Amino acid sequence: MITAEQKPMEEIRESIAPFKRVLVLGCNSCVAECAAGGEKEAGMLASALRLAARMGGKDTLIHEKSLDRQCVKEFVIQVDEFVNEYDVILSMACGAGVQAVGDMYPEIPVIPALNTEFLGETRDQGLWVENCLGCGDCMLAQFGGVCPLARCSKQLLNGPCGGSRNGICEIRPDVPCAWQEIINRLEKFGGLDRLERIVPPKNWSRKNGGGPRSIVREDQKR
Amino acid sequence: MRRKQEFTLALFYCRNIPGSTEKERQSLEKEYGGALRLFPLPCSGRMEPLHLMKSLEEFADAAYLITCPEGGCRYSEGNTRASKRVARAGLILADIGLEKERIGIIANTLGNPRPLAALAKEIMEKAARLGPSPVFHPGVRGKKARVRKSRDAGPIRQALNAPLDGLR
Repeated sequence: MITAEQKPMEEIRESIAPFKRVLVLGCNSCVAECAAGGEKEAGMLASALRLAARMGGKDTLIHEKSLDRQCVKEFVIQVDEFVNEYDVILSMACGAGVQAVGDMYPEIPVIPALNTEFLGETRDQGLWVENCLGCGDCMLAQFGGVCPLARCSKQLLNGPCGGSRNGICEIRPDVPCAWQEIINRLEKFGGLDRLERIVPPKNWSRKNGGGPRSIVREDQKR
Repeated sequence: MRRKQEFTLALFYCRNIPGSTEKERQSLEKEYGGALRLFPLPCSGRMEPLHLMKSLEEFADAAYLITCPEGGCRYSEGNTRASKRVARAGLILADIGLEKERIGIIANTLGNPRPLAALAKEIMEKAARLGPSPVFHPGVRGKKARVRKSRDAGPIRQALNAPLDGLR
């Protein structure tokens, strides 16, 4: 999923300061899972902004609404009926959602309330970790299902750096050495011989070599 | 509309604390003449930061939560979760320049748990020192509060019994 964190309150307040009618728009998919921009978070942010506005003697109108997904227009359309009542949309979606909403309503400014972070997994309650760069050319099969690009601090493709201790990366004590994990997994499944092959430099053209990427599926089109 | 210089406390509490039957709740609210609004919860773990925030937004000068003592939660860890959520709500208040002490949490004592009335009195005395909320009285920060009368707490009561949509 896509992870995100809320921007500092000061930055958010500054960004909506010129507007009188604000729609705080939550997204109940990825950013809800990482407790950054779902229904609860949209409610809390809207509440905090209303409190702040009243303390400052401002009569800003702030409402909140949450959509199942902001990156899919079929869901965004739910705000069609009332979106024109607002001067600005404060989107609590990832960058993709913010832009999708902006495309739908070009007359209304759409401001992000979150900083989109990374593709990751929920490893534990309250812990989200990065484990995919979305490189467009997945090599996980080669590395025992552990991505050295996302999980090795030095993004090494041909073996460990030698700096890890007891399976922990030398960069930070809370980061497991990805190469230790790769070796452990390949050993478990009898695949250590895969490491005999030299991996050539990564071809990044499939990630960002040709401008914005898109996927076209004729069978899914209208 | 709120009157000036009044103080209202929203007090959420776990139903498992002594002296918290519905009859006792009503009698306590009557005693404080509306300055105390009580919200029973099946467990303090039911508390969401949004409940506290909405209380401060709608009617309360301070919003507190009473939990069972550490290790005494019937549902194992409801009180520890509540504690983290209240702390988070406090940080949000600090972020917008409102005293974070307007939100608080009190754990009951383990050996000889105190009744709701005693805890409410203690919290009311502590919270009232903050004075009226600048949310309802911009520029009146820090003046001594008079504990009296309050406003409509209906939306919070409804929200506790409804999905989050009810808070809108």
